[in-house]
Amino acid sequence: MASERDAPTEIHAAELRERISWLIRLRWLATAGVAVTVSAAPKLLEVRLAEPPLAALTAGLVVYNSILWVASRRLLSEKSFGSLGLFASIQIGVDWLFLTGLLHFSGGIENPFVAYYVFHVVIASILLSRRAVYAHAAIAIGLFSLVCWLEAVGLLRHYHLGWYMGPDVYRSLFHVLGMLFVVATTLGFTAFMATAITAELRRRQREVMDLSESLKDHADHLENAYRALADLERGKSEYLLRVAHDLRSPLVTIDRMLSVVAEGRTGPLTPRSRQMVDRVRERVRQMAELARDLLALSRAREARPLAQHQKVDLAEVVAAVSADCRPRAAAVSVSLESEVDSGLPPVTGDRDALAELLENLLSNAVKYTPAGGRVRVAARRRGDEVELSVSDTGIGIPEGEVQEVFEDFYRASNARETGQEGTGLGLSIVQAIAKAHGGEIWVESEVGAGATFRVVLPASAG
Amino acid sequence: MADTAAKKILIVEDDPDAAEALRILLESEGYETATAADARAGLAKVRAERPDLVMLDVMMPAGTEGFHLVWELRKDPDPSLRDVPIVVLTAIQKAVGLKLRPEAGDTDYQPGEFLPVQAFLDKTASSAELIATVKRVLAKGKASA
Repeated sequence: MASERDAPTEIHAAELRERISWLIRLRWLATAGVAVTVSAAPKLLEVRLAEPPLAALTAGLVVYNSILWVASRRLLSEKSFGSLGLFASIQIGVDWLFLTGLLHFSGGIENPFVAYYVFHVVIASILLSRRAVYAHAAIAIGLFSLVCWLEAVGLLRHYHLGWYMGPDVYRSLFHVLGMLFVVATTLGFTAFMATAITAELRRRQREVMDLSESLKDHADHLENAYRALADLERGKSEYLLRVAHDLRSPLVTIDRMLSVVAEGRTGPLTPRSRQMVDRVRERVRQMAELARDLLALSRAREARPLAQHQKVDLAEVVAAVSADCRPRAAAVSVSLESEVDSGLPPVTGDRDALAELLENLLSNAVKYTPAGGRVRVAARRRGDEVELSVSDTGIGIPEGEVQEVFEDFYRASNARETGQEGTGLGLSIVQAIAKAHGGEIWVESEVGAGATFRVVLPASAG
Repeated sequence: MADTAAKKILIVEDDPDAAEALRILLESEGYETATAADARAGLAKVRAERPDLVMLDVMMPAGTEGFHLVWELRKDPDPSLRDVPIVVLTAIQKAVGLKLRPEAGDTDYQPGEFLPVQAFLDKTASSAELIATVKRVLAKGKASA
């Protein structure tokens, strides 16, 4: 890959090749213009021209440009930036000679076409370096001044145009110097301005290129970062899955083996043995629950927590989870009611995660509500948000512990007193899921009167 | 125990302790059992022993060989193999969205969508649930019935 220093040079070389081809094409146009002017001017403008030399020069131009055209086919494809610059410089130099020659044979100092030197100064500024442009301007001024001086002192024949200047102006050193001053300053200033403009353009171009280089670098970095993150995610998920499987699978097997013993299928058990086995099974069950909750919590807190981005119908989730919990509630004589607003907007997220959230809240409510109590689930629309609430007439949460209950492994003091088992992770899981969906959860409660958990989630846009 | 007389159940399970526990459970309910530790051995045993029911652990994180067993059986030209009832033991049915397909096997293999088995059992099911499922599936008879 080319180094950073080569890159601008490469671009300039390509640019240069194109511009040189353009210059050669332009010269065809100029040659045609010269031919037309040389033939038409004597009649149209009533001027006197040295037609044979001019015709010869025109023919010379045709030959010269043809040579250039053929040469350019071969040279342009192989040459580097440096030699392309030389090629361009030589062309401009030869052009000076032709222009000076044409001017000499058509009135020299009298010919307003002196102005055409400016074109080549501008062209040079596009193709060449600043120093080269000034050099070329100097060459042009020098050449023209030389011809004018030679004509003025009689060393070179003057061809009088007979148009708007008197026949002796070319000899008057004073006038000649005056004209030359104008020509020199024109070319000098043109060189100055043209190179300044080109330099500015080149600077901007380089800035844009640097910017796009750095943008590309950033894009590469971002892509690498994404890939690294995706790998990390996958690694984490695989790790979690392995841990989940390797922890839970043996626990399930242990429980099955114990159940086979406890049920007397391996032989009669003494009551003491039966009791011990039952207690072991209970501990195993708690371990399995802890492993399950830890996995749920890790999943809920992952960097990219939502496995699905569906539009979830909360009415359906409430109905499904309530149906699941109803038998358990009935078994402990707790009534379960649900209330869903009609026209409830969907929520964007993971349907199973939201079901898990609701399941956790409902099972907590049922667990900590004494027999005869009531649990109510509601889903309401609140502007562009949806509020899920689970309220119970249970033991409630002591005032000072209302924030702590959402902490990992925290169990409220009065919950511990009931003797019910729990991992202390249920509400952490619920909070993580709520947050992953861009929502919030809080609880309102009074000890002995019950608690209401509210989860607010943003509704789907559109 | 007339309904369990001589019914043979093949247990395909890679964990030897889990297989042993299942074996004890089923034999204490009067069934005959055979075991296989992986899908390939399972396939061979089905052909050799002609069980009345296959209890299959699909062991998901390790691969999909459990599913392959099901599809291989359902493609078998021998009807007593093709129609053998299968109960799948899995820990993750819900997570992967496996569904039951009441009719017997298909020739297109569409992994993870429909599985032509007779019942799914969660691995954490109680002994009672397990036995009830086995009785139910055996009562229904052939898989194509």
